[in-house]
Amino acid sequence: MTIQNPKSNIQHPQVADLLLEIGTEEIPAAYLDAAIAQLRDDVVRLLNDAHSAFKSAESFGTPRRLTLIIRALSLVQDNPPEEIRGPSKQACYDASGKPTGALLGFLKGRGGKLSQTKLVPTDKGDYVYLLKPARMVPTASVLPPLLIQLVSRLKFPKTMRWDASGFRFARPLRWLVCLYGNKPLAVSLGSLKSGKTTWVGGPKRPKAVHVSSVTSYLAGLKKAGIILDQRQRKARIEQLIRAAAKQVRGTIAPEAFSYGLLDEVANLVEQPVVMTGAFDRKYLDLPREVLLASMAKHQRVFAVQAGQALLPKFVAILDGKPRTIERIRQTFEHILNARLADSLLFWVDDCKRSIKEMANELAGVTFHERLGTMQDKANRLVQTSRALAQAWGLSAEESKQLERACLLAKADLVSRMVREFPTLQGVMGKHYARCADEVDAVALAIEEQYLPIGGKLPASLIGSALAILEKLDTLVLYFNIGIEPTGDEDPFGLRRAAQGIVEVAWKAQRPMPLAALLAACAASAGVQLPDKTKARIAHYLFERLYTFAWPKPAPSRDLIDAVLGARPDDLVDAMHRMHSLQRLDGGQTLLKAAKVVERTTNILKNAKVTQAEVDPARFQEPLEHELWRQYGFSKERISKLIDGKSYVEATSVYGDAFFDSLQEFFGKVIVNADDPAVRQNRLALMKAINLLYTERIADLSKLAILQSRSPASPQSAVTR
Amino acid sequence: MITLQRLIRTLDTFWEKRGCMILQPYDMEMGAGTFHPGTFFGALGEKPWSVAYVQPSRRPTDGRYADNPLRMQKYYQYQVLIKPSPDNAQRLYLDSLRACGIVLEEHDVRFVQDDWESPTLGAWGLGWEVWLDSLEATQFTYFQQVGGIDLPLISCEITYGLERIAMFASGIRDIYKLPWNERTRYGEIHVPQERQGSAYNFEHANIPLYQELFDKHERESHSLIQAGLPLPAYEQLLKCSHSFNMLDARGAISQSDRPRFVLRIRTLAKRCAELYLEKREDDNPKSKI
Repeated sequence: MTIQNPKSNIQHPQVADLLLEIGTEEIPAAYLDAAIAQLRDDVVRLLNDAHSAFKSAESFGTPRRLTLIIRALSLVQDNPPEEIRGPSKQACYDASGKPTGALLGFLKGRGGKLSQTKLVPTDKGDYVYLLKPARMVPTASVLPPLLIQLVSRLKFPKTMRWDASGFRFARPLRWLVCLYGNKPLAVSLGSLKSGKTTWVGGPKRPKAVHVSSVTSYLAGLKKAGIILDQRQRKARIEQLIRAAAKQVRGTIAPEAFSYGLLDEVANLVEQPVVMTGAFDRKYLDLPREVLLASMAKHQRVFAVQAGQALLPKFVAILDGKPRTIERIRQTFEHILNARLADSLLFWVDDCKRSIKEMANELAGVTFHERLGTMQDKANRLVQTSRALAQAWGLSAEESKQLERACLLAKADLVSRMVREFPTLQGVMGKHYARCADEVDAVALAIEEQYLPIGGKLPASLIGSALAILEKLDTLVLYFNIGIEPTGDEDPFGLRRAAQGIVEVAWKAQRPMPLAALLAACAASAGVQLPDKTKARIAHYLFERLYTFAWPKPAPSRDLIDAVLGARPDDLVDAMHRMHSLQRLDGGQTLLKAAKVVERTTNILKNAKVTQAEVDPARFQEPLEHELWRQYGFSKERISKLIDGKSYVEATSVYGDAFFDSLQEFFGKVIVNADDPAVRQNRLALMKAINLLYTERIADLSKLAILQSRSPASPQSAVTR
Repeated sequence: MITLQRLIRTLDTFWEKRGCMILQPYDMEMGAGTFHPGTFFGALGEKPWSVAYVQPSRRPTDGRYADNPLRMQKYYQYQVLIKPSPDNAQRLYLDSLRACGIVLEEHDVRFVQDDWESPTLGAWGLGWEVWLDSLEATQFTYFQQVGGIDLPLISCEITYGLERIAMFASGIRDIYKLPWNERTRYGEIHVPQERQGSAYNFEHANIPLYQELFDKHERESHSLIQAGLPLPAYEQLLKCSHSFNMLDARGAISQSDRPRFVLRIRTLAKRCAELYLEKREDDNPKSKI
């Protein structure tokens, strides 16, 4: 990974390359990519903060090393002048005007001299300031603490200690190489001191390689067969496995690329070597997902297919070239066969009972200790499904399928296969459902309930419904017992559930009347959901829209605010409004409608409207009559358009109907008339016009386009 | 010829030469070598401690009636615990494989992430499963906590699956055909044991009996803790743990019960560890001389 430093145009005559290699025991594959990126991003930030100029920063990693290379790092850095505020004048000088201990201590701490201080008046009296002039500092003196900070602060999902130093890292550090301008730079981390020796060959056959420069370092690794650059390594592995699959007249099963197996394998080895093997054909009777899971989980090997059907073959990546490959292959094959034998045993065993019988055992599986069992959950889903079926206008047959899918949704949790491979939940349910001759729509829905995963959404209608029900139930039950996601903490995956509901609902394009659905969820659980909780859940769902991956054009934040300002109930309808209105962004249509809303909002803002209905008998001016007629006529058209979800047209009609007429009206008629009856009548008319849009589409007064440009704030004259 | 008994002797010799005390298997049922007091208590405190030993390990749910070459309800672990962990622990381990006759240059050796955790013992550490040609042959862990206590000195725990190492070293793929010595194969001893053991664990074990045993041993352990006797209290914990494993194999522990059982054992483990550290000084034989 390379970052070109924008400050690199600063010309320094003297530059040198920096090399830092952190040698480790095997870092978990899943940690590596993030650590490599962090290393580069953090060093760029630290160097910029330290005013160090450099050309580029690159970071690399393998399971056994993290490497940082800074190109053309200036040998000196310009520290700009500094002004540091010290203690107050009284604290700094005694009665005779001599510097006190406080002042001398301050100067010592900041590396300043008495001659560099001055008194500066502030609103709290005079203070001593230390003025440090600009100076040139040798970079080599700044680097060690900077690099120590860099490495010490690398974040990993889990860290450990391994020796008396108490230093924490993902896995033990075993060596450090640090060169600056081809000279060793002394850096210590924990109990390690940097040197000029890197290690290749892995723990199996460790070999020391002397490093004298960045070039010699890279050459040394290359000579040892190590591909340091993680992207090159991944590309190389992909090339190797595809070629190997081709040799056995197949292709790599595509799941390897979508489910991260390739990424993982690329971070498990330094010196990729490819090997092909085979397993017993009889295991091809296992469901495809089981074969893939078994190969990926237990051996990290790639499945091979011809057309859509798996071949009894696999492709493995080894680390380093062994003397002979035959015995390795035999062991791989033997272990895979043994694992698959176990899987087959589970599969045959599980299929001995129907999925319905499995569902009956769900009483033994906890959903959450305060929220009952998975059987309770399945029963709730069945009940709630009726509300969703109604909202979605499902046919009698579809409703029946959905109920069945709800009942069986969690059954596979009691199977031996899912206990062995928890990620196969849903997938196994589908297979067990098919085994038991359930309708295919039901089987498919059981599989799709856990989507979205990795961007994949349910394709079927029943699957979408079940996916939503399953998540909505979770959300409602947890919120009801006061468990809500806070900040980064979301141990029960509620944020993901909410996000999932939004994504699936949008894809399904079916109504999502939240009040009715939440009420149904609560009723199915036999709980009284307080209005406040209902509102929180709805709010939480609507909040997901700010981060939703919208199709273009993505609604802006203020537009989302505007639609939510209309207090929508139907999630999908609200999303429609946002998406439709965004298409009008920047045009006159939206601006005109927004102006109408803004003007009426402003006039109503400070007024107390006591009259509910407009009374035409109280009109005084012809313009009032005209506006009222306009209102009546437009209301009918707009309502029809809204019912048809034609929000763009509705907005256009609204703006056209009122923008000009309101301008004329305000020019000639005083809304706040002296006569309270006349005034109230006019306010009621304003309110009717306002609500016509803001109640049913969006409160456009929240749009940013309406904000008058705030006067440019004066640039702060204060320096540091 | 690589025999199981020779392999054990080889490992004993190897680790003895590297300063480990060779302990004997503990005479009680346990799920892994980690449960042996030589590891559980040995990993606590600041005193350097290096041991190696064989520990027969019982995993009732892993029984396959001798039908699967890799899974058994009773097998042998070879356990090494070195405190403090040496800088060259990985290399020592690989050297021990060489000593067993494995030519590493002919194999694919991989250290694959494994965040080891024993919720019942309140213990966890970070390390790897070591794969030999994709065979998970060893667990390699730097202990961070035992009995819920942050360890002042980090131990390195190396747990070999003895049968797997033997299979690997000998090239014999069927565990039951492994030679125990020149005349007897592993299967002659273990096939009946696996068949009958699996049948017992899965079909016949008396559920109410084990439920009762769990409760009674738990109570006994608590009262021994009260009496200030962590070592006997820990033995009662081992009984609880085994009862739990038996109940699990019989399908008598629902998913919802599981965390409660685990917590009950962990509570004992924590108290045993704390009490052990408190009592250590009083019980030091040297201080009484």
